[in-house]
Amino acid sequence: MSDTHHALSPQSTVSELVDRLMPQQTILRQNRDVQGTTMDGETVLLDLSTGRYYTLNRVGSVIWEHCTGHHTISDIHAILCDRFDVAPERALDDLVTLVTQLTQEGLLQQERR
Amino acid sequence: MTMCVGDQPMTESLFSLYGMPVRYVTTSPFLAAPVDELLRHFRRDSLDESTPLVLCFHAVQTRADIPWTLSLSARRLASGTGAAIGDRRETNLPYQVFEDGGRLIADFCDVGILVIDSTQGRADGYLIKPRTMHESLIEYLFHLALIELMRRRGLYTIHATALEKNGRGVLIPGNSGRGKTTSFISLLRSGYRYLSDDHPLLRDAGTHVDLLPFPIKINVTEDTVAFFPELREAPDHLLHPGFPKRAFYAEKLYPTSIGDCCRPALVLFPHVIDAPHSRLEPLSKPRALELLLPQALLVYDADVARREFQVLAKVVQQVDCYRLHFGRDILDLPKLITPLLEEVT
Repeated sequence: MSDTHHALSPQSTVSELVDRLMPQQTILRQNRDVQGTTMDGETVLLDLSTGRYYTLNRVGSVIWEHCTGHHTISDIHAILCDRFDVAPERALDDLVTLVTQLTQEGLLQQERR
Repeated sequence: MTMCVGDQPMTESLFSLYGMPVRYVTTSPFLAAPVDELLRHFRRDSLDESTPLVLCFHAVQTRADIPWTLSLSARRLASGTGAAIGDRRETNLPYQVFEDGGRLIADFCDVGILVIDSTQGRADGYLIKPRTMHESLIEYLFHLALIELMRRRGLYTIHATALEKNGRGVLIPGNSGRGKTTSFISLLRSGYRYLSDDHPLLRDAGTHVDLLPFPIKINVTEDTVAFFPELREAPDHLLHPGFPKRAFYAEKLYPTSIGDCCRPALVLFPHVIDAPHSRLEPLSKPRALELLLPQALLVYDADVARREFQVLAKVVQQVDCYRLHFGRDILDLPKLITPLLEEVT
């Protein structure tokens, strides 16, 4: 069983997601059942509870790297804006889209501060 | 070795796979021969090591004779046809896999069941009327159990053909029909040494991963035979008849020997193209890992899967990876591949 998901696919309801996620209060943490490895800037994740695996592109890899339980979505947004040549609105849209996907897949946990 | 337990004769075979001792016990001669054949390169007269893996296969007459029932807390992990545990694809047996009290239960319906206790290093197989089974099926079921036990102790298998040249390993993973065996034979006949037709072993050596031989009979379709003159002309005692595949021993048809433990240097992902010439397309490491994972990893135990994932990632880190667009110049493949091995440092 295997799935490959690429980060940052477009979503039509991103603004709703942003409102729901509350970026300044939501801390992100990788699920402990996920094993990952980063190669050439991309990250391959294996969900040990399902056997599914996923690939994150370079932006997704930076997001994943910072889901350590210490950073809010807003913190990670700032990191993306600092590291990539991207408009802040676009970076936030992409971030919340990926966070939503990863959370739905059970790879990521959200905690409110 | 043959001994008696009660009034039932019991056959015991001893093997050692790279320092991993294996003791196989069965009450049926029909269950002994296929395993001795599968592991013929690993036979031992005695084992020094004190805690061998133990595989015990029992012949039963009916399903009701199997002294094992699932508990109420058993959890179904997978079901379907094809690969149940391990990586063999060629069987279409229906199966269900359960976790039950720390054991893995692979249920093959009318064929029998495997009860695998990886923690204890023991597997029991209950096969229904093995006298009527094809030897390859018995070999397959034993191999599945062995793979699961070996995983727990750090020896992993991958669905790939494998060769060695000058201490450098070539892995050719992939499902049937993609040119895996044909590309493998093209390299073998040019002097590459034989590691495995379908199931080489991987072992984490700390700074790198070792590729280890698991030499078994090489299975070929009639289509593959047709590409190679020496196979077309081989007599039946060398290229054994069979359906859908024929089989031969590498060392009996080619001037090759079993290769040594080596470091993998190249991974080729073949697929057949309708073109006169083969060509190579470099693959990024993440893409290569994506392609490698389904050839190796079935997640039944999270800790084992975590370690195996790390081993596969380490393999990808240490090799060059290519997609092989495999054209009609089959016999010329070594000219394309060998220079890559010479470049690898």
